[in-house]
Amino acid sequence: MTTPMTTASAVSLSLLPEFPRYSLRIDPADVSAASEVLGLELPTRPGQRAATGSRLALCLGPDEWVLYTDEADAQAVEAAFAALYPVTPHSLIAISDRERTITLSGPQAAELLSTSCPRDLTAIAPGTGTRTVFDTVQIVLLRDSESDFRIEVGRSFLPHVWALLERANRELAAGL
Amino acid sequence: MSAFRIPGKGRVCHDKPVRFTFDGKQYQGLEADTLASALLANGVHLVGRSFKYHRPRGIVSAGSEEPNALVGVSRGGGREEPNTRATLQEVYEGLTAISQNRWPCLHFDAGATADVLHRFLPAGFYYKTFMWPKRFWDRLYEPLIRRAAGLGVPPSEPDADHYASRYAHCDVLVVGAGPAGTAAALTAGRSGAQVILADEQAEIGGALLADDKVQIEDQTAADWLSAAQAELAALPNVRLLARTTAIGYYHQNMVGLAQRITDHLASPPADAPRERMWRVRAAQVVLAQGAIERPLVFHGNDRPGVMLAGAAQIYLNRYGVKPGKTVVVVTSHDSAWHTAFDLADAGTPIAAIIDTRPAIDPALTEAAAPRGIEALLSHTVTATSGRLRLRSIHVNAVTDGKVGGARLILCDTLLMSGGWTPSLHLFSHTQGKLAWDEASQSFLPDLKTEACHIAGGGRGLWGIENALQDGAKVGAEAAMAAGFNATAPALTTQNDRSGAGIIIAELPTDRGPQSTRSFVDLQNDVTSKDIRLAVHEGMHSIEHVKRYTTSGMATDQGKLANMNGLAIAAAAIGKPPPQVGLTTFRPPYTPTTFGTFAGYHQDDTFDITRKTPIDPWAADNGAVFEPVSLWRRAWYFPKPGEDMHAAVARECRATRNAVGIFDASTLGKIEVVGPDAVEFLNRLYTNPWTKLAPGRCRYGLLLGEDGYILDDGVIGRLSEDRFHVTTTTGGAARVLNMMEDYLQTEWPDLRVWLTSVTEQWATIALNGPNARKLLEPLVEGQDLSDEAFPHMSLADCTVAGFPARLFRVSFTGEMGFEVNVPARHGLALWQRLLGEGEAHDICPYGTETMHVLRAEKGFIVVGQDTDGTVTPGDANLGWAIGKRKPDFVGKRSLARPDLVDPNRKQLVGLLTDDPKVVLEEGAQLVDDPNRPIPMQMIGHVTSSYWSEALGRSIALALVEGGRMRMGETLYLPMASITHTAKVSRTVFYDPDGQRLSM
Repeated sequence: MTTPMTTASAVSLSLLPEFPRYSLRIDPADVSAASEVLGLELPTRPGQRAATGSRLALCLGPDEWVLYTDEADAQAVEAAFAALYPVTPHSLIAISDRERTITLSGPQAAELLSTSCPRDLTAIAPGTGTRTVFDTVQIVLLRDSESDFRIEVGRSFLPHVWALLERANRELAAGL
Repeated sequence: MSAFRIPGKGRVCHDKPVRFTFDGKQYQGLEADTLASALLANGVHLVGRSFKYHRPRGIVSAGSEEPNALVGVSRGGGREEPNTRATLQEVYEGLTAISQNRWPCLHFDAGATADVLHRFLPAGFYYKTFMWPKRFWDRLYEPLIRRAAGLGVPPSEPDADHYASRYAHCDVLVVGAGPAGTAAALTAGRSGAQVILADEQAEIGGALLADDKVQIEDQTAADWLSAAQAELAALPNVRLLARTTAIGYYHQNMVGLAQRITDHLASPPADAPRERMWRVRAAQVVLAQGAIERPLVFHGNDRPGVMLAGAAQIYLNRYGVKPGKTVVVVTSHDSAWHTAFDLADAGTPIAAIIDTRPAIDPALTEAAAPRGIEALLSHTVTATSGRLRLRSIHVNAVTDGKVGGARLILCDTLLMSGGWTPSLHLFSHTQGKLAWDEASQSFLPDLKTEACHIAGGGRGLWGIENALQDGAKVGAEAAMAAGFNATAPALTTQNDRSGAGIIIAELPTDRGPQSTRSFVDLQNDVTSKDIRLAVHEGMHSIEHVKRYTTSGMATDQGKLANMNGLAIAAAAIGKPPPQVGLTTFRPPYTPTTFGTFAGYHQDDTFDITRKTPIDPWAADNGAVFEPVSLWRRAWYFPKPGEDMHAAVARECRATRNAVGIFDASTLGKIEVVGPDAVEFLNRLYTNPWTKLAPGRCRYGLLLGEDGYILDDGVIGRLSEDRFHVTTTTGGAARVLNMMEDYLQTEWPDLRVWLTSVTEQWATIALNGPNARKLLEPLVEGQDLSDEAFPHMSLADCTVAGFPARLFRVSFTGEMGFEVNVPARHGLALWQRLLGEGEAHDICPYGTETMHVLRAEKGFIVVGQDTDGTVTPGDANLGWAIGKRKPDFVGKRSLARPDLVDPNRKQLVGLLTDDPKVVLEEGAQLVDDPNRPIPMQMIGHVTSSYWSEALGRSIALALVEGGRMRMGETLYLPMASITHTAKVSRTVFYDPDGQRLSM
């Protein structure tokens, strides 16, 4: 379920409700153990993603991943990693409420992001993601297709990022 | 149609008239006119008064280098701008422009008395005249100078426009869209490279927009340009940015582009930004900035009607405007001859072409003769006349270096050309090295520091064909350097009127050197005499000459003045120009609005304001907020009729007597997990952690390597391998960075991982004797009795049905709990606790009450009672140091002699002799107020409040040897009174801590 928050604008923006999200930190040498627990091959290059069922993993750094799943699966994920800990220590922390997710959809979505994101967005391929900044705010940016992005932003920074997106969206709609 | 507009000529829309006003008078221009071209079409040359002498000034150039035609433009309603260059401002229906620096009006300006007094206003006169008496400076000289200085009037209303920014990445950025830049962009664009082509003019084309003779690839320049424009527009990998000035060239090929978006529109769309800053990161940059024509320096060269010849060619061919009725050309370069020919062919009488050179290409004189133009070689201009517009000039022959008698020529327009100066501004921003070119008497780009390429006029080439071919070649080189396969097209031309010229510092004259007023810098009113005076008075570096005379220091940064100023200074010093040097060009290339730099940072997007999940309740309930780092926090909650003092006193009473509820969500939180978590904390924090049992917590103190307090907070042990670390609100990011830094660089062997959970949890603190009574019925999964859950405990449980991480801690000295719930539930839990708390006399309190309550207990606030030079010992926190730990960050520094000095400033309490006096935080302490000023200060107040619990004021202070001064009276001299206070312990309230379990 999504909450549409803008109507007539160049890019369709929406704010997703909270959903289970985890920060996984584990020694790169132990990645395969975590992959086994998750039932997906954790990518080892920052930016790469892997998914199975409701689970999606994005590699953010050499020993850092963010995991997404749905409410039905959350307990299973937590239990599986709790069982893994005595054998293979790691850190799995629920950050479901730490960030909020904004979706951007439309042919001008990348252009909208370029108003405040200094990254070369053409270098972020569909099906990848990255940690970057939007204005001065740290975000995780996922690209789901040419014209679909997700911004994960710290909860208290959401109003600033949202206001910037809306302002720039009106600017794109004005066409100049 | 005015007498000066040639029907059908140029690129303006002759069928689209546009009305505008200048100084209240209505004029008609055409769409695609600039304000300058439209005024010239109406015969208006006089557009402003000069900066220092208030001399009448006219339009000199046709581009961004314009020094004179600076006007105020306004749309009303907070949309106005001073110092807009009339040569760039496009006219639109209803444009309102005014002249500047004149009173009461442009034609009669009282400030022109400065011109009469010019002998008394030499270079550096500010430094010479306003020296004494010294006391006059603040009250008389500075206000006077400030009033006289500056151009234009700043807007009085807030800017109603908004501004935008954009990041872009490309393979090749081409700066300047003249023949070289256009050819470069075409070549690179055809190779498939991502190309951005930026030009400050409204239309791309540069010199091609003003040359109707040259043929390119057997087409007219206009046709070739149309095709090029169409091809560039059609290439999906090319982005064309007109009205866009490259203002700065920064590290690693980042170029700032300032785009003007709505300033040319009669009615801009509401959501369109006025300007946009592009931050372009380019793999390769092509600088095709071209060259700027040099004015000639001669007596009276600043009268309205004296204009650059190249500008006249642009006004004629691009805008269809004749610059005057009778024109004389004075030049040292061939290019001005062609301007004369174009004007003559368009029906403007050319009274003479005066060339300083004794011999020139005979083709030029041969072309002048059939047009009836008198050619005067080896001649000079020695004077001009005409107050508000040029009326006549004095022309003299120069024979063997001697200036002959003057001949008067009547004319209303004098076109001048002193040759062309390659534009090096952006190249200079990169700190690239310049080389002096003896032949052209100019600096050219030499050693590069960035991946940039210079094409065309910017590297000293002259002529359309040269520029086109060089641009194509350089465009191909840039594309190939970016990894594309590019071939430069062979662009050939016919009727390319290339040529050459010489550089002449100042025209020969028959006047004495003290009686010439030959302007070098028109915008700052600097004459050649001023520059010679500066050299005479000892300024032998061009940087000193510049600062002494202000030559080149106006907003045009000496685009017209610098080379002439250098040549004159070099001649006066007697050294070649390269030894005298060139002043540094700095960004921005042209004046840029603050709005463009600010971008979206205005109004609701001015800056980040972080709000907690409970903030909406606080806002609805009348909270007064205060900023704490990026957060806004509820400061206090006044009830109707309450001031801050009353509200805080009530909140304090309620918390001490019943229960207070406080939003502590902004506290930094870091989860530290791993088999080595405890070892990591042992090494980082001063306290011992090994024996802390799971389910218990402890106050933690963090130092820097210097031994000074950096941060503090409660740290709870969730399990053997898992800790919940809290930090100060402002220190959260800093502490996490420091932890990661040590982990990654000092102790990579430790198996421990850090995760920020500040925003994961909403944190609600309950403090007061009723806290447990309120909380107990709502908690499941944890017994809250003193036995099962003593002070400094933590547990995972549920509170009001929400999963919670519950702490029993106290920052008030009362029994206290901190409930952490996932942030989404924070507001709901707050409202539930408030509802249930009614029966227990609950009271929400803000940060001010929190500060008072903690100060009553002597708890420090890092950053308020510490300032980066306070050790644990200074702050009475020696007990927090694990004495038996082999090491922790800062341990070695704590043994330094100066850190164990007993006379260091130590944190003590202060009780004023008058209990009603609340000291000012920051007030300085002395031990003897009768010493002469400046007296020795021995400390300062760090925290000071009215304590409702004690019914008197309390304060904390850092005082030299403070702990040895217990009971001593100290003095606080203020502006009108000296307070007295006695040194006390820092714990003012409940020193035995009995209330923690009440």
